Amino acid sequence: MPSLARRLLRRLALTLVAVWGAATLAFAGMRLVPGDPARVIAGGVQANATPEVLDAIRDQYGLREPVLVQYGVFAGRLLRGDLGGSYQLNQPVSGVILDQLGPTVALAAGAAALGFTLAVAVALVTAGRPHGRAVSRALEFGSISTPNFWIGVLLLAVFSFRLHWFPVIGDGGLRSLVLPSVALALPIAGVLAQVTREGLERALDQPFAVTARARGATENRIRLRHALRHAALPVLTLSGWALGELLAGAVVVETVFARQGLGHVVVAAVRGRDFPVVTGVVVLSALTFSLINIVLDLLYRLVDPRMRPEPA
Amino acid sequence: MTAPTTAPYDPVRAAEARSRAPRRQLRPGPVLAAAFLVLVCAAAAFPGLLAHAPDQVDPAAALRGPGAGHLFGTDELGRDVLARIVYGARPSLLVGAGSTLLAGLAGAAWGLLGALGGRMAGGAAMRAADVLLAFPAILMALLVVAVIGPGTRNAVLAITVALAPGFARVVRVQALVVRGSPYVRAAVNLGLPPVRILTRHIVPNVVAPLLVLATVNVGTAIIAGASLSFLGLGPQPPDPEWGAMLAQARDYLDASWTLALFPGAAITLTVMSATVAGRALQARYEGRDAA
Amino acid sequence: MSLSDDTATRAGERPVRRRRRLRSRRPVAVAAAVVAVAVVAAVLVASARGGDDRPARQAGAGPIAGGSLTYAVAGTQVSLDPAVAATAVTGLIDRNVFDSLVAQTGPATFGPWLATGWKVSNGGRTYTFTLRQGVTFHDGTPFTAQAVKATLDHVVDPATKSAYAASLIAPYKEARVVNDHVVEVTLARPFTPFLQALSVPYLGIQSPAALAKPVADYRPVGTGPFSFVSWEKDKRVTLRKNARYASPPAGASHQGAPYLDDLVFEFVSEDATRYGALTSGQAQGIAGVPPVNAAKLKSPADFSFSAQETPGLNYNLYLNQTRGPLRDVRVRRALSASINVDQLVKNIYFGLFPVARNPLSRTTAAYDASAESAFASYDPAEARRLLDEAGWTTGENGYRVKDGKTLTLVWPYWAEGNKEQRDVLAQGIQAQAKLVGIKIERPTVDTGAFVGTYLIGGAYDLVDVSFARPTPDVLRFAFASGNTYAKAGGNVALVKSPQIDHWVEEAAETSDPATAERDYSSVQQEVLRQAYVVPLYTPVQLTAFSAKVRGIAFDAQTYPVFYGAWLGG
Repeated sequence: MPSLARRLLRRLALTLVAVWGAATLAFAGMRLVPGDPARVIAGGVQANATPEVLDAIRDQYGLREPVLVQYGVFAGRLLRGDLGGSYQLNQPVSGVILDQLGPTVALAAGAAALGFTLAVAVALVTAGRPHGRAVSRALEFGSISTPNFWIGVLLLAVFSFRLHWFPVIGDGGLRSLVLPSVALALPIAGVLAQVTREGLERALDQPFAVTARARGATENRIRLRHALRHAALPVLTLSGWALGELLAGAVVVETVFARQGLGHVVVAAVRGRDFPVVTGVVVLSALTFSLINIVLDLLYRLVDPRMRPEPA
Repeated sequence: MTAPTTAPYDPVRAAEARSRAPRRQLRPGPVLAAAFLVLVCAAAAFPGLLAHAPDQVDPAAALRGPGAGHLFGTDELGRDVLARIVYGARPSLLVGAGSTLLAGLAGAAWGLLGALGGRMAGGAAMRAADVLLAFPAILMALLVVAVIGPGTRNAVLAITVALAPGFARVVRVQALVVRGSPYVRAAVNLGLPPVRILTRHIVPNVVAPLLVLATVNVGTAIIAGASLSFLGLGPQPPDPEWGAMLAQARDYLDASWTLALFPGAAITLTVMSATVAGRALQARYEGRDAA
Repeated sequence: MSLSDDTATRAGERPVRRRRRLRSRRPVAVAAAVVAVAVVAAVLVASARGGDDRPARQAGAGPIAGGSLTYAVAGTQVSLDPAVAATAVTGLIDRNVFDSLVAQTGPATFGPWLATGWKVSNGGRTYTFTLRQGVTFHDGTPFTAQAVKATLDHVVDPATKSAYAASLIAPYKEARVVNDHVVEVTLARPFTPFLQALSVPYLGIQSPAALAKPVADYRPVGTGPFSFVSWEKDKRVTLRKNARYASPPAGASHQGAPYLDDLVFEFVSEDATRYGALTSGQAQGIAGVPPVNAAKLKSPADFSFSAQETPGLNYNLYLNQTRGPLRDVRVRRALSASINVDQLVKNIYFGLFPVARNPLSRTTAAYDASAESAFASYDPAEARRLLDEAGWTTGENGYRVKDGKTLTLVWPYWAEGNKEQRDVLAQGIQAQAKLVGIKIERPTVDTGAFVGTYLIGGAYDLVDVSFARPTPDVLRFAFASGNTYAKAGGNVALVKSPQIDHWVEEAAETSDPATAERDYSSVQQEVLRQAYVVPLYTPVQLTAFSAKVRGIAFDAQTYPVFYGAWLGG
């Protein structure tokens, strides 16, 4: 299908532009900041570096070159996949990211699983039942409107500090994944549940549902075997949105639960203006986000052949 | 249920729908939401009328639970939590509403440029929007804060930058629709000057749906602002702000968990009210049933 | 249309309406739901198990060897080289890896460690150390005079980028290897605090073989009771028992190898989380117990709680006497008198941190309790009187005004360096200063700006800092005119007093303890009289261990010593 190939190429090209744009923005930011990164690299306030030490650092990091030269070096390294070295952590940025990727992926996966499950379960139970729907609508609206960090703080207060059911340190295995996943999943589950239920309700009004009922199928069977399939696609189309929410939410939730992870790292890097790390995370997330959206886009096409490329 | 919103807003059809829509009775949700919003706005505008000094310390009365004298209790310095929540309304709303407003303005200009700026300028504007939309909004906001530093004003700017490209896309689509509509084509054929067409026909028809979209988005912006504050990147102490109060409360969860209760409730109720009000507005405007 | 169109309509609008026409017959959602249920079930099952999996131990009278101890600390570190990184965490960890030449045994007394003896000659300029024999580094290199020379040269080498460790031995000129077990160190001038400097972990003796490796491959290799195993950035540092350990310091709990098999330092920055780690058993010990939680730990039998007052400079507020309104001693004293330090500190720290009335902590040698009389302590009426006298009148919004200018003081807030609820204390000070009409502004600044614009650029009126080091020589560090921050010192009040300079220099060079004591006492009086400094509190190392942990001691710097620690039943 040539139009699909062309579209794919176009999307990939756009992704590259996006990554390059993100990197350039981050680089520009790095240079716009008034302070002197050499101080940060030298170990900050306690280190109280001498001028000789600072000069050595400026040479080592090429901070005294003209800005354009620095940009060239930066872009060249980026092309080779080299994100440079962190100012604060004395470690290559790629190493920092690799170290921290695991916990964030685990958190996002846990929250995604929880969020989707919860949404589907709630939708199945409440679709087409006025009372259940009213209650769950209110709950969904509440969870959508509640900041995930408040949910997190309350969960911590109740389940970790009062009841001691869950650990308070973030990276102690599966057990410590539960509360952060819940905090991250709830606001997303709220949206997903609404969408799924509407899909289900539309499906239940369809002639095939009537036919199935006429054939004597139980209500549960109709919901699970027939209607849920119809509700699947709108939910799938939301995956890209949910992914963005998960990534964004991880930043905050990791801080609430003091978990290791990319979000924690990026917040620390923003506070300390550790630009190589900020740049690295931004570039990486732009790349992942765009690529996953391309994959999802292709996936809808596979799932529903009626979808045709639209004029942009 | 009604027509999907994927169809861009069509002023003619909406007007028809409005005139056909039965006059609806007042429903409790939007009324309560409006009442709460009025209260929050009053707190933001005249905090002094509703509460005493939010920075008056009384270390001897620190970490009291809710009770007489201090309705919401006191924080770690013995400051009145209620007073701090009242005074915290202003920065919280400022970040939420201010950034939405700015993002709406910037997005409108940006989207109009994208729709009417021709292949070069318009294309470039929309590619720029694509770049900014390539990563989650909070990361974008974090990047901006990393460059310009923390603080109330900077948080507003950061969230503006994060929201504007999304608005720009909506405005562009809307502007393209309006430009292709029969009455604009008629105006062009009549030989009206382009500036007049832009200001008299296109802008008004783009602004209306943008306003609706913006209202619905205030809640998102308030949460984003509170998130930045929670991370210590928004308004700075001792200025009270809801997100920052929650961050501070996290250190005292074991001693006084109610400290974490009220600021969070303030955020959630405000976001809910703003969303309900926004949807009511949207329903009224587009003649659809508010969800 | 691409999905990111939804970006503008995140939580508020329900994106469902966008794809109403689409329908699928494929059971994607069903499959996804099944997988999701499985994952969640796995999580729940896993979380139902768990719990304490450390081996059970027999109760007994004597120390039991074996086991692993996890100690959770705040903050992280940038380097494991004690000569490079000056942070407290690095000192705490490296103390277990490195032995020092001498050990501090009291406020001003020192005992043998890697040096069995020493001799001072040439008017205090030459130190000759006789070294312990039969000691080897973790990498097998024998400990000799060459190692001492290599370590000291490494510290002062500009390529090392050492600031703090190098500043401790600023007069260091050279070290000469006399023979394998005698080393002679020459100083440029007499320097009494030299032995104390040598006793800190930042000058721990390192393996010359390890120092010869490229910086990127640096591993801390010392002769200490534990050897370095791994460092997971921002997570933990793991150390293992040095079974051949043979060089404990004077006054050590025992001889030979330490009892613990593994010693893990876990980095947990959030106070509440660290405390939770202890109570839930994830860590057997924590540093920096939040004062708000300390009361709960004091009583139960499950934990042992200890409070060690840090010697050296208290947590003080320094008043930049070269800038703006604070050039006037009356304004400085007025600010000092406006702050109810007593009430703030007692309540914020629940009585656990001693209220300070002297720049020096009371556990430091030469601490002079009588200096307190020179301190402008809390007296708002006196503060108002002083401001009136200095010509600052009350303006319309309650703040003092003079020549059309509001009495505004800039106190930069370096958020990354915040600890011990100091930001909360500062908010209290701000509120109290406001009551007498002094406006304190606290711009939040990052590290680069804090150092460049403020500490070096001098654009501040107030700066807060504490500095732990068990010697009164810290007064020279904090108040000698040559020791400004730009010159790697701690004189952030920018004091320029020939009188004070004379006192601190004489005290550092004299060999007569009485003269030194008198000089140090005069400094304490003078800086309080001039209100260059407002003492706030004495930092206290609040540590807590699970009751299973026995044999913990604390060294002169108040670091816990893990050498004698063991796990009981």
